[in-house]
Amino acid sequence: MSETTAPRSPSAISRPVSEALLNEKWDRCLSNLLVKSTLGLGFGVVFSVLLFKRRAWPAYLGAGFGAGRAYEECNFNLKQAARDLKKPSA
Amino acid sequence: MLRSSLRSARLLGGKPVAAAAGRQWSVAASQRAPMLAKRFYADQKTPPVLPTSETLSSERTPPPAQGPVDTTITSAEIPPTPPPPPPTSTSAAPKSSPPPKKKKGFFRRLRNFIFTLMVLGGAGFGAGVWYSRINDSFHDFFTEYIPFGEQAVLYLEELEFKKRFPQAPFGGARHPDAVEKVRIPAQSGASWRVADKTEPSERRTSASPAAKKATKPSESKPEEAAKPAEPEKKTVVAAKPVDKVSPEEPKTFKAAAPESKDKPASKPLRSIDLMSLPDAKEPIVRDLVHMLNDLILVINADGAHNKYSSTINKAKDEVLRIGGRLRDLKDDAEKKAAEDVRSTVAEFDSAANELVRRVEGSIAQQEVAWRQEFEEQMKTVRESYDERVKLLLEREQKLNEDKLQNQLLEQAIALKKDFLKEVESRVEQERESRIGKLNDLSAAVSQLEKLTLGWNEVVDTNLKTQQLHVAVEAVRASLEDGQHPRPFIRELVALKEIATDDAVVDAAVASITPSAYQRGIATSSQLIDRFRRVASEVRKASLLPDDAGVASHASSWVLSHVMFKKQGLAEGDDVESILTRTQTYLEEGDLDAATREMTGLQGWAKTLSKDWLSEARKVLEVQQALDVIAAEARLQSLRVE
Repeated sequence: MSETTAPRSPSAISRPVSEALLNEKWDRCLSNLLVKSTLGLGFGVVFSVLLFKRRAWPAYLGAGFGAGRAYEECNFNLKQAARDLKKPSA
Repeated sequence: MLRSSLRSARLLGGKPVAAAAGRQWSVAASQRAPMLAKRFYADQKTPPVLPTSETLSSERTPPPAQGPVDTTITSAEIPPTPPPPPPTSTSAAPKSSPPPKKKKGFFRRLRNFIFTLMVLGGAGFGAGVWYSRINDSFHDFFTEYIPFGEQAVLYLEELEFKKRFPQAPFGGARHPDAVEKVRIPAQSGASWRVADKTEPSERRTSASPAAKKATKPSESKPEEAAKPAEPEKKTVVAAKPVDKVSPEEPKTFKAAAPESKDKPASKPLRSIDLMSLPDAKEPIVRDLVHMLNDLILVINADGAHNKYSSTINKAKDEVLRIGGRLRDLKDDAEKKAAEDVRSTVAEFDSAANELVRRVEGSIAQQEVAWRQEFEEQMKTVRESYDERVKLLLEREQKLNEDKLQNQLLEQAIALKKDFLKEVESRVEQERESRIGKLNDLSAAVSQLEKLTLGWNEVVDTNLKTQQLHVAVEAVRASLEDGQHPRPFIRELVALKEIATDDAVVDAAVASITPSAYQRGIATSSQLIDRFRRVASEVRKASLLPDDAGVASHASSWVLSHVMFKKQGLAEGDDVESILTRTQTYLEEGDLDAATREMTGLQGWAKTLSKDWLSEARKVLEVQQALDVIAAEARLQSLRVE
């Protein structure tokens, strides 16, 4: 984490430096995973309390859905970036 | 004519013989009369037949003319034609024609016709006689061809003669003789003819009454000639006998004509002798002879020969004498004339000789005089010509002298002109040479000026190059100075101002990207520091495939920590070896080679190292430009030197 933050500081002034592109994407993916997994977890807890008499598995399922969604988004972003990289090079 | 011929042909051709005759041509022509042949021809074809047939037809034509048709025509024709020829034909016609018609009318007509004929004939005859008196040719014609014409004309002439000369009925009887007499004397110049011819003499002899006087007159005529006075008397006498004879004249005239030929033969012979010989040429004698002859004739006519014979003879003698005298006179005159002529001829000869002599003398004198004059004239002419020649010579000499002087003057002028031209040309040559030297001097000066200018330029360029060097050094110093990148716009501006017109410096400055001198460029240490960071990031993404997802990224990140790091100039095209090589180059300070190595990266590694590459390029560009400017400055300094 310390490595990634270090380069970010100088580039924060202007646009991100070329060598920090991947790190940035990684950061977004992780944050996205956290948010969505927590969202899913929260929906599962609510559902377990309301519907399933305080059982554990709806909370996990919800967290799993959220994590899955974040992953998918991150994957898409990376591939898109790779495609963009190819186009100018090509 | 045609009708008549046709009729006749029909009448005669009606016979059957005609056809046979037509066929038997030869027989008919030979045996029978041409009449038949004629008939045939008239019938058949050819009206214009042989000439014999025509004659026959003419013979035949009369019978029809005798017919009643002709009589009517003649009766009509009679009155308008009075002239003699028609009456003859008509006279024949009326004789035959009257009996069939009225007898009384015919006789009357005949009578009238004859009467008119006679009247016209008489008038024509009278007119012919009258005209014959006027026109001679008609007279001849009339007397020859008209019966009784000659007599009538003669009678008329006689009557007229009588009217003109009422007193000369007797003379009229003798008229022919008198006429002849008159004629002969008119030809008196040719009297010898008369003398030779016997006939005229005979006439007169015959005219003279007695043969006795034929001998007498020859003797008596000289006597008569001698008497000039008597002829006058005889003329007077002759007038009387004329009166006496006049009653008898008409009777005797015709009878006397033959008698007179016998009678006068005696006397006229004498007279002719008188006339003939010497004095015939003398007009006076001729007249006398004529008068005498007349007297003799008168006397002869009277028959008083005996009475006047003596006197007449005397008169003849007188006449002869006169003739002799005249002859003598003539001879004398001729002699005198001859003598005069001779004398005059001699005089003339002498005069002519004298004249010739005189003329010759005068001519000689004149010749001498003329010669002298001629010589004098020649002398004068010569003198005048000599003078003229002298004058001309003098004039020519003067002219020649003038000409020579003119030529001399012209030559002098020409020489002067040449001299002037030569002087001018030489002056001009010298001028040109001096001007050329001046030009050379000016050229040398200008060259020197150029040289000085060039030295000035050299000095200036030296200064410029030095300034350039200074500027370049200042830029380099500003770049290498300090730890942080700094903008070097001022230095660049100064450099550009120093190198005002240098195209190379301008191009080098233009090649530098504006962001480089605005923000400044990173130093080598900064570049190395940044490279280390870039290299760690690139190593993380070094194992990524082309289409990498989250899993591949995570795996490459995990594996990059595990991989070994290379050292030095590693060989190979993988990302790790390239990175190690660039790192080594950078550590050596060869930025150019390091950037070349980095450009060989692909994929995510390339994108990650893009910023660092741009930084490195900027630095390289600036360095290159500075190198170029420094090289230029060096080159200029080298050029100047």
